[in-house]
Amino acid sequence: MTGHMEPRGESAAAGTMLLDAHEQAMLRGDHGPAVQEAIRFQIEVGNFFEAKRFVTITNAHVMGDIEVMGDGGLEHLRAMGEHHARCTVPTSSNAQCMHFHADPRLKQDEEEIGKENEILQRYKTMRIAPTDTCIPYQTVYQPKMGEHVAWGDTGTVIYANSVLGARTNFEAGKASFAAALTGRTPEYGFHLDEVRRGTILVELRAQLRDLADWGALGKIVGHPHQDYFAVPVIDGIDRMPLSDELKHLGASLASYGSMAMFHMVGVTPEASTREDAFRGRQPAGTMVVTDADIQAVYDGYRYRDGGNNIVVFSGPQLSLFEMQDLAELFQGRKVAPGMAAVVTTNHMVYSDAKRLGYVDVLEGAGVTILQGVCFYILQRLSKIREENGWTNLISNSGKLVNTITAHRFNTVLRRTADCVEIACTGRLA
Amino acid sequence: MTKTIKVSRAWGEVIEARALVMREGFSPRYDLDRWTGVISRIGHSAEGESIRDRVLVIPTTKGGVAGGWAFFDLLHKGIAPKALVFGKLNPVMVQGAVLARMPVTEGWDEDALQVIRTGDMLRIDPASRVITVLD
Repeated sequence: MTGHMEPRGESAAAGTMLLDAHEQAMLRGDHGPAVQEAIRFQIEVGNFFEAKRFVTITNAHVMGDIEVMGDGGLEHLRAMGEHHARCTVPTSSNAQCMHFHADPRLKQDEEEIGKENEILQRYKTMRIAPTDTCIPYQTVYQPKMGEHVAWGDTGTVIYANSVLGARTNFEAGKASFAAALTGRTPEYGFHLDEVRRGTILVELRAQLRDLADWGALGKIVGHPHQDYFAVPVIDGIDRMPLSDELKHLGASLASYGSMAMFHMVGVTPEASTREDAFRGRQPAGTMVVTDADIQAVYDGYRYRDGGNNIVVFSGPQLSLFEMQDLAELFQGRKVAPGMAAVVTTNHMVYSDAKRLGYVDVLEGAGVTILQGVCFYILQRLSKIREENGWTNLISNSGKLVNTITAHRFNTVLRRTADCVEIACTGRLA
Repeated sequence: MTKTIKVSRAWGEVIEARALVMREGFSPRYDLDRWTGVISRIGHSAEGESIRDRVLVIPTTKGGVAGGWAFFDLLHKGIAPKALVFGKLNPVMVQGAVLARMPVTEGWDEDALQVIRTGDMLRIDPASRVITVLD
């Protein structure tokens, strides 16, 4: 199940890690300076976590855009390019920060757009497919049970570990690129059986009706347990959840709790029973979540007075079925004056949503659809907020209402249909 | 009297700098204005404080992959912290710290939030896994 390569020939120690002959060659520089620098970096990180060896991966998902990398990161990427860095496994890119959309309310810096285009071009040279998506698990690649990958976005990681039974840590920034170049990653954290066992029991006694309810559950469980190595086991679900529902739960758990894995008894592949999920151990804690707890999440948000407001459907990007649902809700309606409504999705979903007419319905209602981005990572977002006088940001995404707060939006979580109602009436309910 | 805290894991060179203590989790994306280095999240315990040249003392991590690049970017902009001292962390913080060559530690034998105050001069010695509060 671990999928690692047995060491070939002489092995040698690098701190806590034992390297096989191929890895030693990488470290010596036999595979070029880009690979050498990558594996050095991975050994340093691996040593922090006392990893014993590398594990080979089948797929990488890299995270990097000009907003989060800055000029320093771009120079780092250029240096990798000069060293002819090329990915050795199929590699996709995460949601980016530039929307390339004509909407004058969402203006971005020309100079930074140029840099972002350079990043995307460099991705292609490095053999990264610029999919620009935070939902690769719904649209690009679905690793199988036990498959080791290196994914650089928290929502993708928690979905891969929990729902697919694949194995990955949060591989951020340089770490995801390094893994793509070497085709391996240090074996620590969620690559290991013992880290994947449940630690907290969540007895679910609530009916989850809307995507926002799943995000609310993620907040209730994640916020009091901010711990990467905490693995909640959710028991008591009364039906088989949809992919989009588990996506919103996972994104929210990862955001509030920095968590990388959950189990859902009878639903996720490593939790056929409660005992299976805990691997025979006792939970370190138990919590009960009721309908009243879910309602209390909504009641906990307060609107602020003054200015304009924005409704956002994003974080993670919308699937085709979410686009379909939203098109039905906005059909024949118009976004109210003083309100804005924005949707983000990836290029793949957009193309099909366009073909199927969902895009035309949404745009006809005055909704702005951004491709290849996630809303909270947009370049120049604080200034965009100020220029539009946006005070409240209403969303059905439990993750988004948490992640966007550095830009000083007052955020409010509401169910999907309520978000549409608010967008089309301007009444903050 | 000199106070010391033993940490569980650590990486990086020895540094000395003043502490900025946070009472809750921290993410460079959720909580920080990455153009000024000032904590900008409304209601954060360190709202309005600059992280520049500080040792950030942080009980937990929130989110998020942004730290993978963000600390390197802050370094490039000249507004980076000097070191990261965590109660609990996620791999992003280690990956980001290693890229930015910024010492990082995890775990403490005594509650650092009780022992260390914002403004205290700290010495971080990753090889010996010791944090010293200097008088």
